[in-house]
Amino acid sequence: MKGWLPPVAIGLAVGVVVLVAVTSFAGADAPTPIERIEVLSRELRCPDCQGLSVAESPTRTAQAIRGQIADLVADGASDDAIRAYFVTRYGEWILLGPTLPLAWLLPFAVILAAGIGLGTWLVARRPPPPEPPVPTSEALRRVNDEVEAMDA
Amino acid sequence: MRGLRWLIVPALVIPIGLLFLSGFGRDPSEIPSPLIGRPAPEWTQATLDGGTLSTEDLAGRPYVVNFWASWCGPCVDEHPVLASASTDHGDELAVVGVLYQDTTADATAWLVEHGDAGYPNLLDGDGALAIDYGVTGPPESYFVDAGGIVRAKQFGPLTDESMAQHLAEIGVGE
Amino acid sequence: MIPTIGHAAIVVGLALTVYAAVAFVVGARGGDGRLLVSARRAVIGTFACAAIGSAAMMASLLTHDFSVRYVAENNATTTPPFISAISLWAALEGSILFWTLLATGWASLVLWWNRDRHPALMPWVGATLASVNAFFFAVMTWPGNPFVRTTPVAAEGIGPNALLQNHPFMALHPPMLYLGYTGLAVPFAFGVAALVTGRLDEAWLRIVRRWTLIPWTFLSLGIVAGAWWSYEVLGWGGYWAWDPVENAALLPWLTATAFIHSSMVAERRSSLKAWTAALVIATFVLTLVGTFLTRSGILASVHSFTESGIGPWFLAAILLALGIALSLLVWRLPQVTGGGRPSGLLSRESAFLFNNVLFLGLTFAVLFGTLLPLIAVSTSGATISVGRVWFDRVTVPIVIALLFLMGIGPALPWGQASWRTIRERFTVPLLAAAIISAGAFVLGIRDPGPLGILALAVFVGAIMIDEVVRGARSRARARGENGATATWRLTTRNRRRYGGYAVHLGILVMAVAIAVSSGLATDRTVTLAAGESATIAGYRITNERVVVEPLSNDARVIETRAELTYEGSQSGSLATAQRDYPSSATPIATPAVRTSLAEDLYVTLLAADPATGSVTLHIFVNPLVVWIWIGGAIVGLGAVFAIWPERRVRTLAVAERRAVPVPTTPEGA
Repeated sequence: MKGWLPPVAIGLAVGVVVLVAVTSFAGADAPTPIERIEVLSRELRCPDCQGLSVAESPTRTAQAIRGQIADLVADGASDDAIRAYFVTRYGEWILLGPTLPLAWLLPFAVILAAGIGLGTWLVARRPPPPEPPVPTSEALRRVNDEVEAMDA
Repeated sequence: MRGLRWLIVPALVIPIGLLFLSGFGRDPSEIPSPLIGRPAPEWTQATLDGGTLSTEDLAGRPYVVNFWASWCGPCVDEHPVLASASTDHGDELAVVGVLYQDTTADATAWLVEHGDAGYPNLLDGDGALAIDYGVTGPPESYFVDAGGIVRAKQFGPLTDESMAQHLAEIGVGE
Repeated sequence: MIPTIGHAAIVVGLALTVYAAVAFVVGARGGDGRLLVSARRAVIGTFACAAIGSAAMMASLLTHDFSVRYVAENNATTTPPFISAISLWAALEGSILFWTLLATGWASLVLWWNRDRHPALMPWVGATLASVNAFFFAVMTWPGNPFVRTTPVAAEGIGPNALLQNHPFMALHPPMLYLGYTGLAVPFAFGVAALVTGRLDEAWLRIVRRWTLIPWTFLSLGIVAGAWWSYEVLGWGGYWAWDPVENAALLPWLTATAFIHSSMVAERRSSLKAWTAALVIATFVLTLVGTFLTRSGILASVHSFTESGIGPWFLAAILLALGIALSLLVWRLPQVTGGGRPSGLLSRESAFLFNNVLFLGLTFAVLFGTLLPLIAVSTSGATISVGRVWFDRVTVPIVIALLFLMGIGPALPWGQASWRTIRERFTVPLLAAAIISAGAFVLGIRDPGPLGILALAVFVGAIMIDEVVRGARSRARARGENGATATWRLTTRNRRRYGGYAVHLGILVMAVAIAVSSGLATDRTVTLAAGESATIAGYRITNERVVVEPLSNDARVIETRAELTYEGSQSGSLATAQRDYPSSATPIATPAVRTSLAEDLYVTLLAADPATGSVTLHIFVNPLVVWIWIGGAIVGLGAVFAIWPERRVRTLAVAERRAVPVPTTPEGA
């Protein structure tokens, strides 16, 4: 493998990532009204379906709610105000994602903890091999005596 | 120390058991209403017989708002309950029906078949009223007291017992 | 008469399976071979009983016997025979009967297949399976009796659920799914047997992996079939809504997949035995939990079967199974922990282990999201929803990380990888991914989501191709074969590995297809008068006419049909309708889908006015959807390829049974 290939590959990959990141952030204007309606419709639950959002549901209630969202957007209400409008009427249940931050973080926290735990376990040094027994001076003298006896 | 690992078993089994047990007896599609204890929505709506009705006309009286539809099976069961509540309490209580995703033709035919109790039925063509009350599907009924505060929501068809109970909550006696 | 036979068969089945369970335990402890044989025969007898019961139910459905309540609620005289037959699994009691049929089938198969093998384990496998089946027979005898009669006998039945009538997949999805669910009791039984006898060794690992892979394949196909079916039938243009019933199928699939991977580490290292046993237990318990959630009424779901008091029974079974299995594991824990520590952070082993962390994390996330409404209402009384918004945002990052691991795992060596290996293996794929995503960017795809998935797909795909090419090339050189022969022989002699790669390829195809079809889909809601047209994403749709008439094969159903023509990259005519079923209060929309390899044109009828001929349509153009199903098929084929016994192993098995002393070398499972 030619030595310059890895750096080129990494450089190109980083370059593409930066390019995409920059263009998607720079190019992101304030969302158009239609985009806002679409996003909000995906966040609101259709009341007479099983778990579908108002954006996906074919029922008339869903269409009525989409119409309401469009009216509110046209009147200049903020996203939070629009969500609050429906929560006042239906309760928290109308939002398809829980508002509690813990609900969002918990799965990632669990994975992170487990991953770190696993990584630590993998990297941890093996226990050092047991030291060979250090001879005591008594034992050394005996060895010396025996060696001398053998030499003699 | 050695026996400590046995704690895993109850530590897992008991919470799971308790959680699932707590789910029994509860209907997961029954959504509590955030309107309870708060002022009822104000509205002015056309009625099935061609007139108009508004909350101002009902001011000072307790009233029931009942969302129904001609295609809704349980609505047939609760219709007599509403009808008798309307006749029994006369001027003391106002009963108001609201068509939910229905056509005037179907609704009129249904009333002919099941008996028109004489109380007004509001058209809700654009569904805005159902949204204001937070209706998830017929039949649903909202009980408003004389001061205009929502006191109770009946999820599903009304029975004589639940009707009496909710009427008591909005101050309609006997 | 027939329903009575059916009911009697179920009661007999209950007696037989209880006998089998007891006989297996007594025979195991006492070493009584004849008792064990009779127990095995009793299990096969329970399969016969379940078969008789199912046949009786099907006969009652086909003859429209409305004295049986299940038939009266799910069948009508106008119901076509095909629909009547598959209504066996349309509603609660029938589905449990069907489940029992498959479960007893698996039990019989496992016990018969292994009748001369693993003599220490099989009695306990039999005892476990017989006990599990006893639960289902008991449910059918008491709270969930499918043969309950009604009096007076109605002249006409309510008819099947509208949504279950209008697509042939009703015949495919539940059987596949149930074969998966019921089959996953088998590895569980082996796990329990191994824990009871203390024989958690390589032989156990191999047999459990094979008996997991087969139901896993069915479960995978069942899940994909379910998504495809709901896409074609439900009319909202999507294929996965994170509904509790969908999650119920996904959860055991995730833990079973984690097990398949971790078992490969356990095989090499003789460590992680406790972990693999735990995964096998979790998988089975999750199949019960999933079934419980959708049948108990504690969660609202598209799929909720009617409540009938079986909820508490299922809960008891779950707690019992979990409690007993967990106790066995804890009991044996000192004997199954230990073993070598996997080497280093950057090796195939650690990739597999991190993969397990992610799979289990995903399992936790999906379970947490599904149960959160119940948790919230039990603890604080608050009613909340957890829908796609939450699930998508939480699961997508985890899945992307998994795809990345799926890519680099096979390319890493089993021991710690050197930097040289990493450079060698990953430079070209990285380069390819960078070049192709740059090219896509230039061509106009700017959205980071699809671009990221594309880059990942190229990266992973390049690594896979490299793996196969490398292996084929070295084999060709060593044995003088040409490329094609070398590749063929390489893959067929190493089915486990290359079957696994094929499965990964299928997953990759599905991931790209899912990312593109959800990220780049367009839709429009439009009202068209008669003769009017609308355009969307290169298609021009014209409203020709509105027709109202009864269905040809079921006169009780009135169909309001919008007949449209369309032109674009596909052209032709289609009809999208709303059907009024007597069993349903509101009309059911049946969407029309026109599929090509590039995209789907999908039209749902929202409203129609027969008088004026005007229609309101929701039109979708969903790119690459068909590739999701194709990817699913690749996963299935890859799994079959991986499971298919290699010639050498087959010869060995035959030799084993002839009791010829053959040195057993550890072959791939």
